[in-house]
Amino acid sequence: MTILKIEQVSRTFPARHGNAPTKALEPTDLVIGNNDFVTILGPSGCGKSTLLRIVAGLDRPTSGRVTLDGREVTAPGADRGMVFQSYTLFPWLTVRENIAFGLRERGVPQDERNKIADAFIRQVGLSGFENHWPKQLSGGMQQRTAIARALANDPKILLLDEPFGALDNQTRALMQEMLLGIWERDQKTVLFVTHDIEEAIFLGSRVIVMSARPGRIKAEIDVDLPHPRSYKIKTTPEFVQLKERLVEEIRTEALKVAEHA
Amino acid sequence: MRPLDPVTSKQRVVYGLAFFVLFVALWSWATFGGHVSKTFLANPLTMVQEGVELLTKHGFLFDIGMTIWRVVGGFALAAIIAVPLGVLMGAYKPVEAFLEPFVSFARYLPASAFIPLLILWAGIGELQKLLVIFIGSVFQVILMVAVTVGATRRDLVEAAYTLGARDRGIIRRVLLPSSAPEIAEILRLVLGWAWTYVIVAELIGSSSGIGHMITDSQALLNTGQIIFGIIVIGLIGLLSDFMFKAFNAWLFPWRLA
Repeated sequence: MTILKIEQVSRTFPARHGNAPTKALEPTDLVIGNNDFVTILGPSGCGKSTLLRIVAGLDRPTSGRVTLDGREVTAPGADRGMVFQSYTLFPWLTVRENIAFGLRERGVPQDERNKIADAFIRQVGLSGFENHWPKQLSGGMQQRTAIARALANDPKILLLDEPFGALDNQTRALMQEMLLGIWERDQKTVLFVTHDIEEAIFLGSRVIVMSARPGRIKAEIDVDLPHPRSYKIKTTPEFVQLKERLVEEIRTEALKVAEHA
Repeated sequence: MRPLDPVTSKQRVVYGLAFFVLFVALWSWATFGGHVSKTFLANPLTMVQEGVELLTKHGFLFDIGMTIWRVVGGFALAAIIAVPLGVLMGAYKPVEAFLEPFVSFARYLPASAFIPLLILWAGIGELQKLLVIFIGSVFQVILMVAVTVGATRRDLVEAAYTLGARDRGIIRRVLLPSSAPEIAEILRLVLGWAWTYVIVAELIGSSSGIGHMITDSQALLNTGQIIFGIIVIGLIGLLSDFMFKAFNAWLFPWRLA
C-alpha cells in the first residue's frame, strides 16, 4: 500500500537582485492513494512542476511536508521514479544500460539487471533498440526509454513532469495509450503533471486543477470513465463534457496569467 | 563559394595540400631566386640534405626521442595530478572556492620564466625539463577540467538522483562519463602547448633534444638544420594530434552516433 501525503506544502523562491520574493506555491494539501492515477493540470507557471519536484525531493518546501508511507521526503530517492520533460537519458549509455541505471546503483548483478531491462524494453516497444545510443532515437523513443528507466527501479510512485510536452500530437497520443496500458496492466501510483486538458482527462482517475501564480489547487474532478480506455473515448459525450468543464476552469486561469504578463 | 557551404572530403584534402605546395613554392622562389641571403634562410633542398645528415650522422633520432619522452613525461605527470583535482573542484563547490583563485593566478605564471629558478632547484637534468612542462600544463588542465565538470547538465544529475544514485555514484557514473570527452579534448589541446614549453626548456641548459639541436645550429648559422628541427616538431605535433583524435573517437562512440 502506498500513500503519498502532501500537507500544507508551499514554496517561495527567495528575493534576487532586489526583486520581491516569488510565491510559486500556496500551502497545498493533497493525498494520493494506492494505484491512483492523479493528473495535475494547470497553465504554465502555476507551480505544478514545483510541487512535483518537491515530491521528488529535488526541491525543498518553504513550509509543510511530504510523506510517502509515513516517511518524510527530504531528498530524492529510488522509491519515487521521475520522468522529466527534457530528454534526460544518459547519452553515454545504451538504451539497455540507461534502463538498468538504477538497478546497477543498487548493486543488482548484471544478468538480472539485463533481464529486467529487456522486459521493460519489450513493454515500451523498443525491442531491437537495446544497444542504440540515445542520440539515435526519436523524441518519443527517448521518452519511452525514460519511462522504462523509471519503472525498472520499481518505485512506489511514478512522477511525470509533462513527459510528452515536447512531442508531436500523433506521437503524444500513442505515448498516452502506452502509459495508460502499463498502468491498467501493472497498477502503479502515478502523479502526472500536464497543461494538456485532453491528456489530463484521458490518463487520470482524478484531475487536480491548479490556479495561476501563486499556485494553489482550484478544483478536483473525478474522472469516472471506464477502463481500459482507448483513444476512442476522447470523442464520447462524457469525455467532451469533462473537457468543456476543464476548459472553463483553465481558461480563467490562463486569462489571469495573460493579464499579469 | 557561399557562406557555410560544405566541401567534399576530396576537395578538403586537395585544398589543404595545395597550401603546402604554395608555401614551398614561395620559399623556393625566395631562396633559389636569390631574393634572400643564404645566411638567413636555407633553401628547401639544403634543408632536406641537412636533415638527412642530422638523422644519419648526428644521431638526431635520439634527440627526437628525448624530446618526446620529456613532453609525454611532464604532460602525464601534470594530467595525473590535474584531472582528479579538476574533477573535485568541479564537483564540490567548497573545494572550488578554496583552490580556484590560486589556480587562476598560477595559470598566468609563464612556465618559461620559471626556467632559471628550476635550474637552481633541480639542476639541468631531466627533472628540470619535466617540471617546466608540468608547471606549464597543470594549472591550465585543472581549471579547464573544473569548468567542464561543473557545467555537467543539471537535469542528468537530477535524473540520476531520482534513480537512487548517491553522491559517489553521481561523480563516478554521471559527472565523469559526461565530462570524459571534454576532458580528453582538453588534454589534446594542452599537449600541443606542452610542445612549445619543451623546446623553450631545451633551448636553455640542455645537452640533448630538438631544442638543443636548434641552439647548436644557431651557433653554426645552419638555418637548414633549424628549419628541419622546426618542421619535425610540427610533424610530430600533427601526428600526436591525429592519434589523440582517433583515440577519442574510439573511446567515445556515443558522441558520433
